[in-house]
Amino acid sequence: MWKFIVRRLLITLPQIVLLSILVFVMAQMMPGDALTGLIDPNIDPAAIEEQREKMGLNDPWYIQYGDWISSALQGDLGQSFRFKMPVTDLVEQRLINSFWLGLVTLIFTYIIAIPLGITSGRYNDTMRDQLITGYTYIGFATPLFIFALVMLWVGGFQLGWFPTGGSVAPGLEPGTFEYALSKFQHLLLPGLSMALITTVNTVQYLRSEIIDTKQKDFIVTARAKGASESRVYNRHILRNSLLPIAAYFGFEITGLIGGTVFIETIYSYPGMGLLFMDSVLQRDYSVVTAVVLLFGIASILGALLSDIILSLVDPRIRIK
Amino acid sequence: MRKTSWSKALLALLLVLLLALAACSGGSEEGEAEGDSGGSDSNKSEDSGKKLYSIDDFSAEKTNEGEAIDGGHLKFGLVTDTAFEGTLNWNFYSGTYDAEVIEWFDEPLLADDENFMYTQDGAATFETSEDGRVFTFTIRDNVNWHDGEPVTAEDWAFSYEVIGHPDYNGVRYGEDFTNVEGMEAYHNGEADSISGIEVVDEKTLKITYKEATPSLLTGGIWPYAMPKHIFEDIPVAKMAESPEVREHPIGFGPFKVETITPGESVVYTKNEDYWQGEPKLDKVTLSVINPTTVVQALETGKVDTVDSFPVDQYPDNAEMSNVEFLGQIDMAYTYIGFKLGTWDKEKKQVKPDPNMKMADVNLRKAMWHAVDNNAVGEQFYNGLRWNATTLIPPSHPEFHDSENPGLAYDPEKAKEILDEAGYEDVNGDGMRENPEGEELVINFASMSGGDTAEPLANYYIQSWKKVGLNVQLLDGRLQEFNTFYDRVGQNGDDDPKVDIFQGAWSVGNDVNPAGLYGRDAIFNFSRYASEENDKLIEEGISEASFDVEHRKEVYNEWQKLMVEEIPVFPTLYRSELVPVNNRVQNYSIAFEWSGLHEIAVTQEEPMKAE
Repeated sequence: MWKFIVRRLLITLPQIVLLSILVFVMAQMMPGDALTGLIDPNIDPAAIEEQREKMGLNDPWYIQYGDWISSALQGDLGQSFRFKMPVTDLVEQRLINSFWLGLVTLIFTYIIAIPLGITSGRYNDTMRDQLITGYTYIGFATPLFIFALVMLWVGGFQLGWFPTGGSVAPGLEPGTFEYALSKFQHLLLPGLSMALITTVNTVQYLRSEIIDTKQKDFIVTARAKGASESRVYNRHILRNSLLPIAAYFGFEITGLIGGTVFIETIYSYPGMGLLFMDSVLQRDYSVVTAVVLLFGIASILGALLSDIILSLVDPRIRIK
Repeated sequence: MRKTSWSKALLALLLVLLLALAACSGGSEEGEAEGDSGGSDSNKSEDSGKKLYSIDDFSAEKTNEGEAIDGGHLKFGLVTDTAFEGTLNWNFYSGTYDAEVIEWFDEPLLADDENFMYTQDGAATFETSEDGRVFTFTIRDNVNWHDGEPVTAEDWAFSYEVIGHPDYNGVRYGEDFTNVEGMEAYHNGEADSISGIEVVDEKTLKITYKEATPSLLTGGIWPYAMPKHIFEDIPVAKMAESPEVREHPIGFGPFKVETITPGESVVYTKNEDYWQGEPKLDKVTLSVINPTTVVQALETGKVDTVDSFPVDQYPDNAEMSNVEFLGQIDMAYTYIGFKLGTWDKEKKQVKPDPNMKMADVNLRKAMWHAVDNNAVGEQFYNGLRWNATTLIPPSHPEFHDSENPGLAYDPEKAKEILDEAGYEDVNGDGMRENPEGEELVINFASMSGGDTAEPLANYYIQSWKKVGLNVQLLDGRLQEFNTFYDRVGQNGDDDPKVDIFQGAWSVGNDVNPAGLYGRDAIFNFSRYASEENDKLIEEGISEASFDVEHRKEVYNEWQKLMVEEIPVFPTLYRSELVPVNNRVQNYSIAFEWSGLHEIAVTQEEPMKAE
C-alpha cells in the first residue's frame, strides 16, 4: 500500500512539471497581458511600457518560465500585477472562502443525495421513485447560473431570508461569534443552490447501484436466511452501493478548493473560481499559472485519494 | 430486437435533426432582426412603441425631499462582477473600482470646476509665477490625516518621490511627472532628490515645471499626497502590498476606513476632523454588487445608490418608485477609425502610408455619410446614446464645438461622393470596386461584449452595403477585448488585415488630443498625422492658449480639421445614469462635485419600491 502511494507520487511529479509548462505556455499565448486593460488616455503609454519591461513581459517565454519556476520552487509564486500583492497571500485569502463554501455544499449534497437515492432505489418504478428521478432530470437540465439567480431572487430578495452577496456582513470583527455566524449565513444560500443541482448525479449513481445490488445473489441469500427487509437494505445493499460514491469522494474533496465561477460571481463571493476567472480575463499571468497549477495538483492528489479510499472500503480491490 | 434498435437509432437521428433545425432557425431569426434594424430608418413610425429618453431630462443633482435626520448610514453599491483589487492608495491603484473605494476616505488636494480647471476651493490653494512654470501650493491649516497628523508639504512631495522612484510598480509615472524639473534624473537614479520640488515650509510646496502649458491647470498636476510618517520606512517596491495600503489605509477625506473585507466590502465612519466640516452621515458601507442583481438590490433597499448603473437596464426600470435617476453626459465617445498607416517602432511615431486601402478621404467621408447614428442611438440605446459630431464630447462644454455638425446621415450624398471619386461597380455584383477597378473588401474589426455588439456591427455593415461598399467583419466574427487592441496596435504591431475598427475612448479632464491623435501617440490607432494636425495640437498647449478663448478657437479648428480629414469619426456620445434612493439628500454625480460630507438621509433605512 505504502509502496503504491510512493510510486503514484513519483509519477505525479513529472505530470506536474509538464502541467506547469503547458499552463505557462498557454497563458503566454493568450492575446494581451496584464497591462492591456489599462488602455486609458489618462495613463501614459510610456509608463505602461516601462512596467512591462520591469516585469519581464517582453522576454521570451522560456526565460519567463525559468524565472517563474525557480522562484516557485522556493515557494514564491510571484506577484499578482493586478492586485499588487504576493500570489500566495492572494490564493490563501480566496482558498479559505472557497473551502468553506465547498464544504457546506458537499454536506448539503450528501444530505440530499443519500435519502433520495435510497428511497428511489428501494422503491424503484413507483410513484416516489418517479418523483425523485423527475427531480434529477430537471436538475440535469437546469443551468446552474440560472438556478442560482432564481434562488437568490427568491431567497435573498423576495423572502429576505438570506444575505444577498459577499462572504460576510460588512463591519464585523474577525474572530467573534457574530462573524462566524454571519459567515455561515452567507454560505447557506449559495451552498444550497449549488447542492440542489450537483446532487442529482449522486442520487442517480446511488439509485442505479441499489437497483443493481438488489438483484444480486447474496441478497437473495440474505432474504432466504430470514433477514428483515430493513436489515437487508441497511446492511447488505447500502454498504455495497456506497462504493462508487466513496470512490467519487476523493474528487469531491478537490472540488472544495476549486470553487465555482457561476456561484461565486452571482453571489459576489470572492473565492477561487472568481479569482481564476478574473485573472484569466485580466491576463494576470502569475495568478493564472499558480491557480491552474494548484487545481492540477489537487486533482492528481484527489485521484490518488479516491484510489486509497476505494481500497479501504472494498476488500476485493487490492493495490499492489 | 434488430427492428427496435433501428427505430431507436431513427429516433436519435430525428432528435439530432431537430436540434440542427432549431439551431438554423435561431440563426435566421437573428438575420431578420438585423434586417429590421437595418431598415429602421424607413419605418421609424412602426418602432415608435419603443420609449425614447433624452439626457437633457436628467439632472446630475439629487432633489431633496423631506427633513434630514441626524447621522445615518448610507449603503453604497459597487457594481462589478469581479472583486475589487484592494490597492487603496491614489498613488498605486490601477482599477476604477479601487478608485471608487478610495474616494470616500482620501481626496485630491486640488479641487476643480465644471470645466476641469483647478480652483482655489480645494484642500490646497495655489499661485502661479509670471511665466507659468512655477506653482506655489499652500495646504490649508486644518487639513489633517485621519490619525491626527497634519497633511504637510513633505507628504505631497513624498508622493512625487514615490511615483518617480525607480522601484515604483504602478502606472502613474506619466507626463505630469516627467514635466517636473529634475524628475527624469531622479527617476533614472542619477539624483537623490527632485530638483524641481521644493518644500518651502510645513504647508507650502513649490513645484517648477519644465514647460508651462495650459494642460497643467486642467489635470496636469499630481494632486495626491501620501502620509510620509506612515510610509517612510517601507521600501517603495513593497508599498503597494503593505497593510498600510490594503488593510488600514488612511487619507484626509470625509470618512475613515473602519474595516475592509478584501474584495467585498468596506465600512467607513465619519471623520469628525474633516477640513470642510464634520460629515452629516455617521457611517457608510460600500459593498460589491453583481450587475445581474443591481435592480433587485435597489428595489429592496439593500443599497441606496451605486457607482454606475447599466444604462441598458434603464428603460425597464425607469419607473422604479423608490429612487431618483441622476444623469449626465459621460466623458466618452464611440468611434469608427480608419487605418491610414503603421507605427514606426524605431522612431516611436506614426507612419502614414498613402497607399493604404482607406487612404482616400472621399471614401471615408462617404462611409460617415452612410451611417445613421441617431437611429443607432434610438434603436439600441433608447436615445441614451446619440449621434456624435466631433472628437471633443459635450461632457467638456467649454471646448466641445456645438456649432460643428459633423457629417450628417445622407446615403444619397455618400453614393454621389463615391461615384465622383471613381468607386464604381464595374463587374456588376452590386458592390463598388476601387478607382483602379479592383475588388474592394473592407475589413472591419469590432469588439465583442454586451448583447448589442453584434447587431450593432451588423447594422453598420448593412448601412455601408446600401451605398455599395463591401465591408466584412474581420475573420467573420467579433474580436475579444485583448485581441482587438493587440490587432489594432496597442503595442505598435498593427495587424495589416484591419482596415477599419470600432472602438471607444474615455476622455481625460484635459481636452488636449495629443495622447490620442498626436504624431507620437501609440493610441493614435488610425496612424494619422499631418502638419496641420501637429500645428493645432501644439498650439493648443502653447503659452498663448493660457487664454481660454484662444484655446477654444484652436480646438474648434482642430475639431473642424478632424471632420475634414476623418482619420476616425465619432459615432455616439453616451450618458451615464445613477439611481439614488429617495431618502438621500445633497447627492450629485457631477464630476467636479466634492460634497461627500454634505450627504444626509431622511430616514434610518432606505426606502423600498412599492
